[in-house]
Amino acid sequence: MAENVELKNRMDETKREVTFELNGEKVDLIVPPTYRLVDILRKDLNLTGTKISCEIGRCGACSVLINGQVVNSCLVMAYQLQNVKVETIESISKNSLHPIQQAFLEEGGLQCGYCTPGMIVALSDLLENNPDPTDEEVLEHLSGNLCRCTGYTGILRAIKNYKVKMVKKSTI
Amino acid sequence: MELNRDNYQEKWRVRPDGYDKVTGSLKYLTDYTFPNMLYGKVLRSSYPHAKIKSIVTEEAEKLEGVKAVITYKDVPGMNRFGLIFPDQPVFCEDVVRYVGDAVAAVAAISEEISEKALSLIHLEYEPLEVMDSPEKSLSSSCISLHPSGNILHRASYKNSEQVLVELKNCPYVVEDTYETPRQMHAYMETEGGVVVPEEDGKVTVYAATQHGFKDRMQLARILSIPESKIRVVSSPIGGSFGGKDELNIQPYAALLALKTKLPVKLHNKRSESVRAGIKRHPMKMKMITGANKDGKLVGHYVRITADTGAYATLGPAVLDFAVEHAAGPYIIPYIDVEGVSVFTNNGVAGEYRGFGGNQVTFALETQIERLAELLKIDSIQFREKNLRKADDPGPLGQRIVKNDGAKSVLTMIKTSSVLMDQPKKHPNKLTGKGVAITMHGGGLGFGRPDPSGARLSLTKDGQIEIAFGFEEFGQGLIASIEIMLMEALNCSKEDIKIVIGDTDLVPSSGSSTASRSTNMIWNGIQKLKEPFIDKVLDLVADYTNTTRKLLYLGENGIWRKGKRNQFVLSYRELANFADLSHITFQTHFHFPTTPDPVIGGHYLYSFAAVAAAVEVDLLTGQVKVIKLDHAVAAGPVVNPLGYLGQIEGGAVMGLGFTLFEDSVMENGRYHTENFDSYLIPTIKDIPNETTVMVDESLMEGDVFGPRGVGEIGTVAIAPAITAAIHQACGIWVKKLPVSSEEILNALQEILPCKAGGASSG
Repeated sequence: MAENVELKNRMDETKREVTFELNGEKVDLIVPPTYRLVDILRKDLNLTGTKISCEIGRCGACSVLINGQVVNSCLVMAYQLQNVKVETIESISKNSLHPIQQAFLEEGGLQCGYCTPGMIVALSDLLENNPDPTDEEVLEHLSGNLCRCTGYTGILRAIKNYKVKMVKKSTI
Repeated sequence: MELNRDNYQEKWRVRPDGYDKVTGSLKYLTDYTFPNMLYGKVLRSSYPHAKIKSIVTEEAEKLEGVKAVITYKDVPGMNRFGLIFPDQPVFCEDVVRYVGDAVAAVAAISEEISEKALSLIHLEYEPLEVMDSPEKSLSSSCISLHPSGNILHRASYKNSEQVLVELKNCPYVVEDTYETPRQMHAYMETEGGVVVPEEDGKVTVYAATQHGFKDRMQLARILSIPESKIRVVSSPIGGSFGGKDELNIQPYAALLALKTKLPVKLHNKRSESVRAGIKRHPMKMKMITGANKDGKLVGHYVRITADTGAYATLGPAVLDFAVEHAAGPYIIPYIDVEGVSVFTNNGVAGEYRGFGGNQVTFALETQIERLAELLKIDSIQFREKNLRKADDPGPLGQRIVKNDGAKSVLTMIKTSSVLMDQPKKHPNKLTGKGVAITMHGGGLGFGRPDPSGARLSLTKDGQIEIAFGFEEFGQGLIASIEIMLMEALNCSKEDIKIVIGDTDLVPSSGSSTASRSTNMIWNGIQKLKEPFIDKVLDLVADYTNTTRKLLYLGENGIWRKGKRNQFVLSYRELANFADLSHITFQTHFHFPTTPDPVIGGHYLYSFAAVAAAVEVDLLTGQVKVIKLDHAVAAGPVVNPLGYLGQIEGGAVMGLGFTLFEDSVMENGRYHTENFDSYLIPTIKDIPNETTVMVDESLMEGDVFGPRGVGEIGTVAIAPAITAAIHQACGIWVKKLPVSSEEILNALQEILPCKAGGASSG
């Protein structure tokens, strides 16, 4: 595989072993300590649901969860991964769609879809801890995730839809 | 009618590509990898304008892991690209004209090695004078950037020689110059993809574009191989907005792949995308607009200067569009519009959602507001007095399809809560509301080849396959195709297979641009549905010995009408017995054009009105749009969720154009190379409330169906916001994006009482 050749030939750096949990499974890698998490995911593990866009932590397209909290995977380096728990978009709908994913579909929370995995990951973090966030909390939480297509209006509609459904569910 | 779920019910549908997008399982073309794939990188110019003295690549070639280093010497065919005027070098030979110009490219076994190799390519430049503004490019001492000089294109429309004379006699005249920014498309997926040399000698290009066949044509010229040997796979796309219409990384990945005989991936970093990619034309627009004492517009004199950057791409057509739309939906007896598009050493400007309309609409609508203020009449009333009527000719005097959309959108916007409600008072903020209106041509315009095509067939698996040469870059094209085909054939979505975005599989439909795709899809389906249904029913009637007129297409297959409708035969069964070549229908047709030979003049127009409510912060000068309502007249709504998304998303893009966005350049170099300095709206910057109202009606005799709405939602945003800013604090914004500093300075000068009162209260 091209990826393996690339790993062997990667620039002359001292490589380190790093062990972490990815989507519930243990991962062992030998990589340069400054190799970025987004490259580990996309290039080495072919988990391309995590997108790449600004690479300076400004757009949120590469959002993943580390120990349950949303981070930009373009800013996380391999040495920071030791013993942490990483969850990517691929883990969020492992069994069935997360209700927020369903709400995105129903309300036009996405268009080109390139920011969508990052949005979903960020929202899954918010909603996990706070199933009924205020508008302010939603805006604050998503302020690091850029979307160029929807103007965010469909995303807010999706969150509203989600909240209505969750309230219904909890009152039944 | 308000565009929402309640009013559209079952037409409000989940998009077919949605599941794969929300789960992250959709593979974009930049997500592809292939065995033995190499990583390509392009070396861009170090100078905005310079002579190339030498290019030395040996050291880069020797670096371990490097498989190819190429320059202009390695281009087997035409070393130029450009959709209409191929004037941009694939690789510069002797001169670089902007910082995005390519001089060399590398393919290596890793991205890191490619990057390193770029630093080992040695170029010697002799810097030349940088022409960083149209004024400088037009000065007498300037260097010619192209053999024909520094003027890319001139365009004009004049219906009288007496315009300035008439304006002199007007009691009410507003004269000013307006400026708009170099807005970036800022699609979240930067340009990229993989080019794969195939075993049969063909080459497959997996890279985003808005028109696969045009990429194929351009690549054939560059690579010097027949178009039939190139396959362009170009969807799905992570956003485009016009920005991926022109070639970008395709020629480099293709040349490297052919040279190395290995797949080559090239995916621009954001800074490379900013540097090389096209932008919206910055325009300076001088306008003198006059009205008589009865509030009737008399004269409109416009001079537009567009900074088109170093190369042509679609610059001429953008200028033509700006000239055409400079008088908007108004009837003005004396019009004189001239535009010039000028080459500079700035970033290349080209196609971008709105296509020159956004710039002139900002200037024109501000003029209209200011005239209304002079006349001391309500600006909506002023517009109503001067609005085009349904059967008035188009803005270039050409015949257009009868349309009363202008009046309709103005009537609808009057009911907006933005205008009806009193804004909430806030001690440190001033509030205001504003309105703007626009009309926008669809299709490429008279005199420009604008063909489309479609194919409808039954596959051997019994699926109804519809194929178009269009692209899905997020707008919801696939969803619109699904909805229109289900409606036309009365079948279910499970019966349908949609094929787009692959030149080996689809007919040419023209570009997914100019708000034309929805209209062309509707047209294609209208033309194909009858022959398809007829043929299917003939075959099934024969095969099952059933009276043909009792048969109809439905879910899963063919049904027979009766007291209780009966299922006769599935599409799969039909595919098993029928000769499928008899159930394949193709159509080719042209976008509707005006019968009058006015180059670039449009025939189909859509209309929009916008109402904006803003808060201006007295302490910071910052503007927040708190409400933004829209009224759109663009014919029937085929895909409500898609339509709404286009208007809402286009609006926020327009909000960015108005308040934040500018690719700042100095001496031909970008200051804004990523989202830390180029600010697009975040979720915190958008209005709290937005309502979209639509008029779906077409006038009698209008057989042209639904119009596209990809652009219209973005065109009239800026002047609505700036009119609201004026109402809030009395300032007319003449230059976008709005500067908080300027507002603050002006507030201190003109509103000492208000500002002082606010800070003490």
